[in-house]
Amino acid sequence: MTWRRPFRRRRGRDAELQAELRDHVERLAADYVRDGAAPDEARRRARLMFGGDDVAEACRDERRFQWIDALGRDLRLAVRSLLRAPTFTAIALVVLTLGIGATTTIFSVVDAVVLRALPFPNADRLVAVSEMQGATIGNVAPQNFLDWTAQQRVFESLAAVGYGGIILKGEGTAEPETLVGQTVTANFFETLRTPPLLGRPFTADNERDGHARVAVISYRLWQRRFGGAPDVIGRQLPGQLGAFEIVGVMPPGFGYPVGARDATDVWTPLVIPASDRVRGHSYGYYLQVIGRLRDGVTIDAAQAQMDQLAARLKQDAPSWYRPLRVQSLHTFITGPARTWMLLLLGVVICVLLVACVNLATLMLVRATTRSHELGIRSALGASRWDLGRALLVESLVLSLAGAALGVLAARIGVEILRTTLPADVPRVAAIAINGRVLAMTVAVAIATGLAVGLAPIWHFARRISPSLRNRARGYTTNIEQQRLRSAFVVTEIALAVMLLVGAGLFLASFARVSLIDLGVDTRDVLTVRVRPLVGAWNAEHAQRENGELLLSTLKDVQDIPGVETAAFVADGLPFRGDLRTADFSIPGRTLPERLADIDRNQISPDYFHALRVPLRRGRLFTDADRQGAEPVVILNEEAARIYFPNEDPIGQIVSFQGTRRVVGIVGNIRHDGPETNWRREGFVPIAQSPTIAATLVLRTSRSIADVLPPIKTAIRSRFPDLALPDIEMLGDYVRQLTAQRRVNMLLLGLFGVLALAIAAVGLYGVMAYLVTQRTPEIGIRMALGAQASAILRSVLARALRQLAVGLAIGLAASWLLSTLVKDFLFRIEPHDVRIYAAAAIVLLLAGLSAALVPARRAARVDPLIALRLE
Amino acid sequence: MTTSVKSDIPQGTLDLLILRVAALGPIHGYAIAQRLQQVSRDVLQVQQGSLYPALHRLERRGLLVAEWKPSDTGRDAKFYRLTPKGRAQLKTETASWSRLTEAIGLVLLDPSGDAS
Repeated sequence: MTWRRPFRRRRGRDAELQAELRDHVERLAADYVRDGAAPDEARRRARLMFGGDDVAEACRDERRFQWIDALGRDLRLAVRSLLRAPTFTAIALVVLTLGIGATTTIFSVVDAVVLRALPFPNADRLVAVSEMQGATIGNVAPQNFLDWTAQQRVFESLAAVGYGGIILKGEGTAEPETLVGQTVTANFFETLRTPPLLGRPFTADNERDGHARVAVISYRLWQRRFGGAPDVIGRQLPGQLGAFEIVGVMPPGFGYPVGARDATDVWTPLVIPASDRVRGHSYGYYLQVIGRLRDGVTIDAAQAQMDQLAARLKQDAPSWYRPLRVQSLHTFITGPARTWMLLLLGVVICVLLVACVNLATLMLVRATTRSHELGIRSALGASRWDLGRALLVESLVLSLAGAALGVLAARIGVEILRTTLPADVPRVAAIAINGRVLAMTVAVAIATGLAVGLAPIWHFARRISPSLRNRARGYTTNIEQQRLRSAFVVTEIALAVMLLVGAGLFLASFARVSLIDLGVDTRDVLTVRVRPLVGAWNAEHAQRENGELLLSTLKDVQDIPGVETAAFVADGLPFRGDLRTADFSIPGRTLPERLADIDRNQISPDYFHALRVPLRRGRLFTDADRQGAEPVVILNEEAARIYFPNEDPIGQIVSFQGTRRVVGIVGNIRHDGPETNWRREGFVPIAQSPTIAATLVLRTSRSIADVLPPIKTAIRSRFPDLALPDIEMLGDYVRQLTAQRRVNMLLLGLFGVLALAIAAVGLYGVMAYLVTQRTPEIGIRMALGAQASAILRSVLARALRQLAVGLAIGLAASWLLSTLVKDFLFRIEPHDVRIYAAAAIVLLLAGLSAALVPARRAARVDPLIALRLE
Repeated sequence: MTTSVKSDIPQGTLDLLILRVAALGPIHGYAIAQRLQQVSRDVLQVQQGSLYPALHRLERRGLLVAEWKPSDTGRDAKFYRLTPKGRAQLKTETASWSRLTEAIGLVLLDPSGDAS
């Protein structure tokens, strides 16, 4: 209510004002009457005389908050003073825009990715329960989830999330499409305390085979596919493997995890098949388990109770249980990105610091050149407070204008980062400049303005009158003043060096990652995922039928102009995360347990040609390696080295998807990306190994736009209901794997160059000022016979001294801090001397060229003119 | 207005005049205008458009305080009164005004500057 009071008082005051003025008019009229005028006439004349509403308005003006007046005056003064120095103002604004823009951009990212709370009611009570795979947090085996659910006492509810998704048939004009989906337990929605907007969630009854054909859909899908129709509940989603009845629609923005770039569109019941209801299934870790803590239970208590529970379970099957971890859901989702985000934040704070220090330097230099003006104003009666306020308002105006421009710049930055950050960054799609980010920006701007404005104020508080006396006697400039400026420039240089070293380390890491031999030639390779094929999952005859269809599709595709080589691969496309292992053994030998399986790839004969994987020994597959012919297998070098270290693998019989003869050895592929090791891989002919999903791999000599339509036609003519969700260049998958490194390199590189440029501007500004100040002195020296080159050298030497000190500090700080980024580097030591040397050279070159301009001006000083200035 | 013998009050002196008039005791706006006119023998003409804003300005600056009281007409009127701060201000401004007019007078009456 307090905000109303001044308002009401103003209304009362206004009535009072009206009464006062009315009183005046009436007295005036009364006087006219006394002078003999008729009452009506008198009142009319009095009102005319008085002048109406203008008076009231003028009175009100007098009463309006005077601080607005004062502020307005200060603002006008500040703006006028800034406009009088357009170069300074422009440089300051550019520096601020870049500094604040970079900070705002990165803060938006950090806020969205790690800081923001989860958008669920009482989200702080949500936890994730995971099984540990060594030091990494892994998924949960279904049977363990069932055991936990049955025996735990610390959670209100425990829900599981698995992979899902529905491939919709084409209907009328609607193309076939793949819906991103999750299979969830019925209590998933309740655990997140988010009921459907329409309809209901499914029930535990649905978690059984035969009852699971129900779906809850996202708001997005409801709008997109059903136009937001209110009668959507009860309608069918025409999945290719059967229809799902829609029972609920979730509210807009709902999703788990939050803000994924591929947001979930459909939730179906999680059915745990009987085959997974065992303890000891080797590939059964596929669930994420989330829970809501009971009131009063802490995470530690939950952890302790779950540990006990796990220990009890372990007695039944000792080799099976892994340690488990209970952590807050927020940590679980954001944890993997936390250190990275901290790194980015640290880096951008360095950039902001460089910008601030630079601005403080510029302000200081400017204030020094303005000392005469300030001296005069002080002599005319402006108090120190007045002068200080003027300086402060000026720097605040600058920094707030910089913030406004910075936010504009950040909008572009955020747009770029939202799409270039790797898709697995948590909540990447939620990155935006929101109120919180804006508040932070304004706070940063004000802090910057204050910090930057205080430097000259602190400096001038005691020095106004001497500066008036000392006007233009520049050659004995105040030592303290010089020291402060030098300290600022040195700080800028040191920070720039740190950013340059960081940029160098990340650049080198990225270069090394890019130069790694992946084992395949990814250029011009197009991949088209074909999935799933006709028929039901696991139905063997359908698989065989698919095999035939696939091979005939391949023949058509090979004939398309622009397609050089075409092949199919099932389960094993590199770099996309496709991976399936299968049991491997050699009859008559015992292998250690850790060698009991290898990767299984099903390929068509030209696969290795398409990827340009070299054949090391033996032969590749041919069309003759089909169903009915002798079962064969090709191993990669790594598998051959491990399983047949001292003998010729060719011709050996192994047990892998049946009994097979090894016919060839091919080169290794870095299946999981450049930073991973070789895997043990086995390849079998797709014709001998039925499949329900495959990826078409094409080496093309023409653009995608040319070859894609006939490829689609070839596929659709055999698989009419197929959605083609993933059409991607193989190189793009590699780029996704290296996206974090690329972002780091680009950001650090950008920030490093930025800091370097800002520091160079700072150095230039200070040196230029110094030369201006020393012009008379230089004139005297030259008149006394000093050589121009000696003057040049003396100015450069001074710049070099500052550069050297900044460089030393920056290199030392980098040396200490770079160990913090060790985990982000690849095959380069944080103390690699070459990087430090390169950073030093770049900085010296930039610094000296910045200093060269004023130095040459100094060398060209005309002694006569300089002395006349005296 | 060139034919009028009445003068507008010079810029900046109105505040001083109001303070002077109010120093004599609580007085309302209309009476201030009347008084200024009378005392200056009809030379000084206060425009209401200046008077009331000036009163409110002085009140805001704490040099005057106002109070609603019954007046001669029987209705309440707003009476202005000098505050101690206003009294001090009046004193210093009167002094500086005298100095200024004295100085100006000296210059204007300097016979050596007489052009004619």
